[in-house]
Amino acid sequence: MAYDNETKKLHDALVSCKVPDIKAAVDEAHAAGMPANDIINVLGDSMSEVGVLFERGKLFLPHVLAAANGMKAAMELLGPEMAADAGEAKDAAAVVMGTVEGDVHDIGKSICSTMLQCAGFEVHDLGRDVPKANFVEEVKGGCTFCGMSALMTTTMTVQKEIIDMLKDAGLRDKVCVMVGGAPVTQGYADKIGADIYGESASETTRKAKDKL
Amino acid sequence: MTEYYTRMGDGKRVLMTKEAIMADIQAGTADAADMAEIPALTSADMEKLFEIISDKNRIVGVEPGKEVVLTYDIGQLDFTGDNGNSGNGVDMGRLEAALLHERALGADTFELAHADYSIKPVKPIIANEMQTMEEIQAEIIAPYFYGAMPNMGLYYAPDGPYGNPADLMREFKIEESMASSEAAAEHLARDIEFVGTRIIAAGADGFNFDTTGSAGDADCVGTLNGVKALREACPDAYINVGMAGESVMGIHGSIEFEGQVVAGLYPHQQVKVAQKAGANVFGPVCNTNTSKSLAWNLARAVTFIKACTDVAEIPCHVNMGMGVGGIPMCETAPIDAVTRCNKAMVEIANVDGI
Repeated sequence: MAYDNETKKLHDALVSCKVPDIKAAVDEAHAAGMPANDIINVLGDSMSEVGVLFERGKLFLPHVLAAANGMKAAMELLGPEMAADAGEAKDAAAVVMGTVEGDVHDIGKSICSTMLQCAGFEVHDLGRDVPKANFVEEVKGGCTFCGMSALMTTTMTVQKEIIDMLKDAGLRDKVCVMVGGAPVTQGYADKIGADIYGESASETTRKAKDKL
Repeated sequence: MTEYYTRMGDGKRVLMTKEAIMADIQAGTADAADMAEIPALTSADMEKLFEIISDKNRIVGVEPGKEVVLTYDIGQLDFTGDNGNSGNGVDMGRLEAALLHERALGADTFELAHADYSIKPVKPIIANEMQTMEEIQAEIIAPYFYGAMPNMGLYYAPDGPYGNPADLMREFKIEESMASSEAAAEHLARDIEFVGTRIIAAGADGFNFDTTGSAGDADCVGTLNGVKALREACPDAYINVGMAGESVMGIHGSIEFEGQVVAGLYPHQQVKVAQKAGANVFGPVCNTNTSKSLAWNLARAVTFIKACTDVAEIPCHVNMGMGVGGIPMCETAPIDAVTRCNKAMVEIANVDGI
């Protein structure tokens, strides 16, 4: 396989979560002639691995952000070349994230937002106890993913209410609906008509990337 | 081929063959062993776990002589509460609920709790809680504690004075995020000492810290420092440190308790820092994956908890309930799954209490 050495160095640097090492590996791969898209793809796959390592307690949030920072630097360096190859610049997919109205739990949703941002999504995190209409407004404003978290059996029903509001507004087919939170299951996601159920932040991110 | 009636992690009923159950047991224990770098269950343990899961009786129990202590968290709220999740909705006072748990439900210990079940909201009403504690202590015989979650999320914006670390991280303000976590942890420790010393002065036999580390590693350190201060102030208090998950989530990443980074600690390591802080009892936790089977979840949970009891120098009372300890995550956890998980924790993981 071409660029085996560069691919390994890119992967190792990204998983080491050290920005200077990531930049050096990107510079080296670029100088060796590795296509910009291939470099970013390797970094993206490695970023997914970083997310899994975070969830397994092997890496911590500052590491994840450092890796994302390194990836961001690579995007800045290689972005123009990628845009030239593609013929036009491709905007990042926008995601609205929030914990639904009535529910003040925050941390799981925040971790998920961080993982999505690290994976290259433009994240609009509305916080927690978010009024239902605010999700709909963000979708109207261009978000193509709508992530709703609920940590209580009493608030998970709000996810369905928001899906119904998206349908009423004629927006349901324009957005990928993601649901998660402790009491939410794949069965419940199927029942309310969500597109993605995330058992964890990294699973949600992986499934969202698959939808791009 | 014989199929056995069992459950998925979301409580759904499924039929599985012995081969399928054993495969999930092996995968579940392997996952825990890989994550925490601990031994997987032995072949004998896995066979015993299969026997428990495949038992033809709807309800199973431990063998005579193997009964363990039953201690309850969230106080009276699981009985009186009716907010659509796990409460029974039976309206009664806190005294009646405590006596009912002691005298009818066989609780070996019980606790007083505030409706918000968090340390911070107790501060302004501490005098009321002290009064209630005194009143109930005059009637109850079982050890009666006060219980609350450290819940350090309440110290972050918009509920508290410190910036939200996860938000700051997303803005790549990593040092600011860490500083915010550290300040909140110090505040939490002060509040634990404030609430803990007063409620124990009012006659509480001890304090139960529920879901330690729910807001990440700084929450864990704040709680441990609070426990340490409480232990120093109240040498005879009975302190139970219960956790939020099988791994301490690294939001800060490098915050330490007594020289030990707590991020990424698993139950067999968590118990050591709890002991060091002054806990009398440790409450290990393993969360349930709703997409996996009972066999996978229970094998995984038992593996974590067994490694913990193997090294613990204090009793381990494992957290068992909706979505933890292998028990399915559903509103009313099915009794077949609940009893199987409890039996496995006692007879394979060797816990001292539930």
